[in-house]
Amino acid sequence: MAGIKALVGLSFSGAIGLTFLLLGCALEQYGVYWPLFVLIFYVLSPIPTFISRRLSDDDSSSNACRELAYFLTTGIVVSSFGLPIVLARNNTIRWGACGLVMTGNAVIFLTILGFFVVFGGGDDFSWEQW
Amino acid sequence: MSGFLDGIRCGDCECNVDWGERRNTIASIAAGVLFFTGWWIIIDAAVKYPDQGQFHHAYHTCGVIATVAFLMINAVSNGQVRGDSYSEGCLGQTGARVWLFIGFMLAFGSLIASMWILFGGFVVPQKPAVYPGIAVFFQNAFIFFGGLVFKFGRTEDLWQ
Repeated sequence: MAGIKALVGLSFSGAIGLTFLLLGCALEQYGVYWPLFVLIFYVLSPIPTFISRRLSDDDSSSNACRELAYFLTTGIVVSSFGLPIVLARNNTIRWGACGLVMTGNAVIFLTILGFFVVFGGGDDFSWEQW
Repeated sequence: MSGFLDGIRCGDCECNVDWGERRNTIASIAAGVLFFTGWWIIIDAAVKYPDQGQFHHAYHTCGVIATVAFLMINAVSNGQVRGDSYSEGCLGQTGARVWLFIGFMLAFGSLIASMWILFGGFVVPQKPAVYPGIAVFFQNAFIFFGGLVFKFGRTEDLWQ
């Protein structure tokens, strides 16, 4: 199992991602806080994968539960990019803020993926690791 | 700093697995992108044109039926339709075939309906804002193709 250094690196990239999100809200030329709703998508995104890993230990090549989890996770990721675009097209937020939020999204989702790759892989994934 | 990246195992992640096993993952992700992009297109159109005169709210029915069709098509596995899965399920093989038939009919029907809405509701009456009609069409097209990719892009062979 990977150690402290990976954890520190991932928490750093997570902080950078949240910084981008907050810059998109709090900079003087933007000033509206609607983009913070993407935080809901950040929190929801690992849940389908956790549930499917918990429910089914089947590591064979076709596993319907895992594929459904990937489908739903992709949907949550797409939604977190779709929300700033819809807000910007409706002039609720500026396009510059939209760009910052989408950059923050990309960094956060790469961080979450990094968590799964570093800490979640292997046949003996079990809750005792926590 | 010397061991900073030691914990990240790039070499022995699942990248070594051959494409046969990755196919299901890629198909699931592609289907997710298509399906949810379709819904965000219609959300965008609904936000930009909230007025009933510009975008009649009944046109949303098309996307809802397409989503129901997506769920119906993907609720049955190909194995249940062929009859070679371990359990019969609630409806049996014939029931699974009827369910799949109805699901595909709803899917094709909603795609045709979306084209009808675009041309009959927006192009022919020469409405000033055609974008809602285009959005309905693209929503249903994306949901339809997302359903196809999710159904046929994945393989159910348990051994490769």
